Amino acid sequence: MTKAYLVLGTIFGFILSRSGAADYDFIQGMFLFTNLQLYGIMGVAVLVGVPGIWLIKRRGRTLTGRAIEIELKPLHRGNIAGGVLFGVGWSLAGMCPGPILVNIGEGKIYAVAALAGALAGAGLFGTVYQRMQKPFALPALKVGTGEG
Amino acid sequence: MTLILNDLPALHWALAGLGIAGITLALLLLGSRRLGISSGFEDICSLVLPAPYFRRAAVVSGRPWRLPLLCGLVIGGFLSAVLGGGWQPTWALGMFDAAIGLGPAGKLAWMFVAGLFIGFGTRLAGGCTAGHGIFGLANLERPSLITTITFVAAGIVTTQIVYRVIFPLAGV
Repeated sequence: MTKAYLVLGTIFGFILSRSGAADYDFIQGMFLFTNLQLYGIMGVAVLVGVPGIWLIKRRGRTLTGRAIEIELKPLHRGNIAGGVLFGVGWSLAGMCPGPILVNIGEGKIYAVAALAGALAGAGLFGTVYQRMQKPFALPALKVGTGEG
Repeated sequence: MTLILNDLPALHWALAGLGIAGITLALLLLGSRRLGISSGFEDICSLVLPAPYFRRAAVVSGRPWRLPLLCGLVIGGFLSAVLGGGWQPTWALGMFDAAIGLGPAGKLAWMFVAGLFIGFGTRLAGGCTAGHGIFGLANLERPSLITTITFVAAGIVTTQIVYRVIFPLAGV
């Protein structure tokens, strides 16, 4: 299965690279409303995704027969506070998380700094998580090995 | 408008959207996986950081599929360059070069700070453009709608301030 995820990631990366989703100018164009390409991409992805996810959930099984279980994301104050921080970072870098990796692959040297920052930011968040739990009403930690 | 990458023309938006929906649905149908990229950042952190947050079941069970997916993104970008005019390391940054014009060291500092916002913000928000913006919205989840509206709005405000107020660019 590792190979399948590697292949899916590669196709995903190629699409992000060629669509403008990993392009600094297209991202700024989206936020300036001078280029609506990215709104179109997200809109189509979501509109096609709605019936697609609904059908797969109705089928209830993966291709290998495992039950379809989707872990829902919790609602808390971090959605808005984190959303603001991420939006600022997305605009400044002209990249969201996937495109940071795509840009590294394309040879954009500065994207390595964005990845270093993102890993430092995620590392910092995990390290101070317990102190943020109360003010942001974040969920309790479920430590374990998971379903593997 | 062309891409910064080798001045290539961009794919049609409908085709790109369809492709991204296809990847999202393939992950779900293949392994009951929820598309998510920023979670992969904590997967990477979990390889070296001992905090309890990084020993969560969701992290430990996500690594075996999310880390290959993330590696694929790098390969996809590389192939896109190789097949589209050639791969070469570059500092080119489009409008940023025209309006802000920082050199390599400045760009690295700028991108590191932006990355901090992205890494911390996406984890606090519980997801990014992929997990909230694509999967969450397509699965009709309210927290994803709230988060997506917030990060798109914050992006709009930030870019408007940067390119219309601080570094006004002719023609923008």
